[in-house]
Amino acid sequence: MSPAYVLKRIALICYTLFVVSLIVFAITQILPADAAVMLLGENATQEALAAVRERLGLDAPLWQQYLHWLGGVVQGDFGTSMRTGQPVGPALFEALGRSLLLALFSILLMLALALPLGIVAAIRRGRIADLVVGVISYIGVSLPEFVTATLLVLVLADWLQWLPATGYVPLTENFGRGLLHLVLPVLTVSLILIAHVSRMVRSELVDVLHTDYIRAARLKGLSNRTVLFKHGLRNALLPTITIVALDIGYLLGGVIVVEEIFALPGIGRQLIVAIQSRDLPSVQAGALIMATTYAIANFLADIAYAWLDRRIQYD
Amino acid sequence: MTETFRRMLRSPQGALGLLIVGLILLVVILGPALAPYNPDTMAPLQRYKPPSAQFWLGTDQYGRDILSRLLNGARATVVLALIATGLGTLAGAMIGTVSAYLGGRADEAIMRTIDAVMSIPSLLMALLIVNLLGKSSLNAVLAIAIAFTPGMARVTRSVALAVRKQDYVNAAIARGESAGFIVWREMLPNVVAPIIVEMTIRVAFAVMLFATLSFLGLGAQPPASEWGLMVAEARRFMHLSPWMILWPSLAVALVAIGFNLLGDGLRDVLNPRT
Amino acid sequence: MATILDIAGYNLDYATPTGFTRALDAVTLSIGGGEVLGLVGESGSGKTSLAWAIMRYLPQSAREAGGIRLRDKDLIAASPAEIGAIRGRRIGMVFQDPSTSLNPTLPLGEQLAEVLERHRGLSRKQAWAEGEAMLARVGLKLPAQMMRRYPHEASGGEKQRVVIATAFACQPECIIFDEPTTALDVITACQILDLFAELQAETGVASLYISHDLALVSRVATRVAVIHRGRIVEQGAVAQVFAAPSDAYTQKLLAAVPRPDHRLVETTPDPAAKPLVEVEKLSVHYGRKPFLAKLLGREGTRFTGNREVSLAVQPGEILGIVGESGSGKSTLAKALTGLNPFEGGLRFDGRPIAGIGDMDRAYRRDVQIIFQHPDSSLNPRQRIREILSRPLALYGKPGQGRGAEAIGDLLEQVRLPRSYAERYPHQLSGGEKQRVAIARAFASQPRLVICDEITSALDVSVQASVIELLVDLQRRHGTAYLFITHDLNLVRQIAHRIAVMYRGDLVELVDVAALPAGASHAYTRSLLDAVPAPASPSA
Repeated sequence: MSPAYVLKRIALICYTLFVVSLIVFAITQILPADAAVMLLGENATQEALAAVRERLGLDAPLWQQYLHWLGGVVQGDFGTSMRTGQPVGPALFEALGRSLLLALFSILLMLALALPLGIVAAIRRGRIADLVVGVISYIGVSLPEFVTATLLVLVLADWLQWLPATGYVPLTENFGRGLLHLVLPVLTVSLILIAHVSRMVRSELVDVLHTDYIRAARLKGLSNRTVLFKHGLRNALLPTITIVALDIGYLLGGVIVVEEIFALPGIGRQLIVAIQSRDLPSVQAGALIMATTYAIANFLADIAYAWLDRRIQYD
Repeated sequence: MTETFRRMLRSPQGALGLLIVGLILLVVILGPALAPYNPDTMAPLQRYKPPSAQFWLGTDQYGRDILSRLLNGARATVVLALIATGLGTLAGAMIGTVSAYLGGRADEAIMRTIDAVMSIPSLLMALLIVNLLGKSSLNAVLAIAIAFTPGMARVTRSVALAVRKQDYVNAAIARGESAGFIVWREMLPNVVAPIIVEMTIRVAFAVMLFATLSFLGLGAQPPASEWGLMVAEARRFMHLSPWMILWPSLAVALVAIGFNLLGDGLRDVLNPRT
Repeated sequence: MATILDIAGYNLDYATPTGFTRALDAVTLSIGGGEVLGLVGESGSGKTSLAWAIMRYLPQSAREAGGIRLRDKDLIAASPAEIGAIRGRRIGMVFQDPSTSLNPTLPLGEQLAEVLERHRGLSRKQAWAEGEAMLARVGLKLPAQMMRRYPHEASGGEKQRVVIATAFACQPECIIFDEPTTALDVITACQILDLFAELQAETGVASLYISHDLALVSRVATRVAVIHRGRIVEQGAVAQVFAAPSDAYTQKLLAAVPRPDHRLVETTPDPAAKPLVEVEKLSVHYGRKPFLAKLLGREGTRFTGNREVSLAVQPGEILGIVGESGSGKSTLAKALTGLNPFEGGLRFDGRPIAGIGDMDRAYRRDVQIIFQHPDSSLNPRQRIREILSRPLALYGKPGQGRGAEAIGDLLEQVRLPRSYAERYPHQLSGGEKQRVAIARAFASQPRLVICDEITSALDVSVQASVIELLVDLQRRHGTAYLFITHDLNLVRQIAHRIAVMYRGDLVELVDVAALPAGASHAYTRSLLDAVPAPASPSA
């Protein structure tokens, strides 16, 4: 992997973030409602409204507003929440931390289950195990998070009463209870990922097991274990890295829904609250932070892929 | 076409997908006629009923018949998802084709921008657009269509580029055919099949996304019998009657499974290698 | 000479939804120590199935009968564990394409050393040292470096040497060579054959050499077996089978082998006539400066497809263009048909063509191209009727019909039944599809047809009939051909002159009649040496 490749990827991520900021700003700023009216209420005087507009910079041309906003963002200033009057940044980053914890556990659970499931299905192709994994993954990719969450709560919290249905306890406060509160959200978020990734691992591995070099390895008299783990998996898992990175998009979407359902104060929930209360700076900052997280995850995946796969030669 | 259909029936995924999607379309067309009750008639004495011979799937918090509401809601859920996917595919296909056709720097610029847009997760994009346009079913459809556009553009472009490299296109160019003939007669029939596959699978995703938006209170609004909204409303009464929340959830899942199966079946059948 | 591998009355069937299909029928073969048995057959003849059967690598759907023995070991009855110990240890195998038979993510040395570790119980360190010695023995310079390289860092010839080293690594009693040179260019293939002969003589291994190429087998084998539709139709000493083939299929196969001394074209173009095509210093470049490289002020990599190529084609002349893959032959074809932008001079019938923009209707009608793969050059979603109707609609003469009649005539001209008009390409065989492509090219009654490797995807016997058809069409219409191929023997049969290309340059333009003595360029001579003319049957 050449330094030029890394430089190119960094240039690309900068462009990505620029486009994202433009879209986020464009979508949120062309609000049909007047932000000043929203802030002060319908009965505010014209003078008060004008004062607020000036303070928020709403009377400047759009491009100036954009540059002003972007300038702030670059310096870590995401503006002031219209709802709470507090700076947006610190609250959102705190929420992001909670969401990342949820995402991390979900990814770990996904890797722990999706890889073995996919491998077993590929090796036992056409047998019962393959069918079972196939059916599970079909159901998994077809259940929206709110349905999964509903069913899990119904069974595990309501009926069996094993787990708390909603709420959040910081791990630093009470580790055991904190974990217990995370179980249902993590299960919900990871189900769709497990389903998708195990299908991908299976199909990649099935393809790899049909290649000439796997046949050559078998005809060299190598054991099944060597053929599978040394020759097969390495090649099958490489493309899976990219798929996992792309799935982080689903994951972030899932995080939004799951946090809303389980009353988990992460960035997704903040975003929903912000959208519902039309808190402009919070919506902009929340969307930008989520998209940035996704872009960085993809960037890391690309670098990891290029590092692991020596065949790729980049200009 | 009949050949495709026959081959679909031979694969278990395709046959099952056809069956489920066929049933769903039947419900979409005939739903209101099949419904035993008016979906909006409230019956204060018949609230939270479990499934019975009278109410096959039970009743909700206002004593409305859940089966009737589901049958009526199919239109709201499935048709809107189909429209959203169709719009997104159309827009994406246009962008993808133009990008593939232009090639070179323009293609690269368009694709890099598409990549950038795709780093906003679909649900987030839809949320932002609903935020911009306001909460309603129609706006949710637009939001999903816009959220799908970059992905479809990507797929269309890669398929179009693969077809563009085929020698039958080269042969047409060498023969001196017009650009219009090459695109419409030589390329399009070969580009359409993989796009239909991708589109079918996306319908499943659109159903899920649309229901999710409604569930979050940003899509269909009460008293509509959209399935996601039904789940959201039923959450409060989960302890009183789990049936209320179970049926619409399963309905969403069934539609998504149906279109996923159909898409995979189509992929196998339309693949020229098989 | 002790028999090493003995196959007796071996039948192989594959279960299909409609019943069993026979892949191998009563095959009886034996190979002794130090012997090379050449197994020759066309695609689908069952030759590869036999290799899998010997290696015990058969799908679940296989049903077999008869015996396969390695010395006194019954391979069919052997347990999976026994087979694991025999593969790579007692029977080695060399595969067709080294770029797919080597694992792309493991170093070459690892893929060689693992066999030594598995079968000879060497430690990792010993295995790597031994592997290095093996690589030196198969003629690789810098073996220690080669051990650490990945497949993508080595050339095709180097990779195939590694595969061969792996096959010989455990001193097996028997090695199966499955078309080991087919994926390589001719000069590399020739070197690999030399290596094979050397190692074969040194180790005295019993070799089964599978190939579609009769001429090649006549060089490497001591005995030859011809397989057709799963049956061994003829078997015997090489000299005997080639000199006096007794089976009709063998005779047909031998007759189809291209022989330079057997000219198929009697016409000679008029040397005084005005040239039909004149190419002057024509260059083609690919790629563009990458954006970032430009930004950093670095020179972008522009790949040169053709470098200042000059040649002329007379009316009715067949000009052969030969060269290995990547030599720029197809690039030239694409430039002449407006599929690649080019620089330099091009004149057609005296008229200058400065670029793609100058290729008007008249030029398009007069210059047609036929591609290598008919699968890709015929649109899979159009019927043959639609495919053939386009050039008629575009370029049909006023008197010429355009309906079913004209399409039927076109099909008959390439010796296909008229009823094929209603079929789709996938309902035709490879040779039939290529005939449709030929019919499409001739529909506009062109004056120059560019044939870009049009027979290299076809079996020898099909190739022979396609070539015969082309020669016949040339005689009837007086069309000039630009015949691009990597097969020197084939092109010597039909071309009037041959242009030799090497890495984008036209290195030599020579009269066929003057060959082989008239070749002046070193590359041309090494090409000629690499593909000796096959032995002629005396019959």
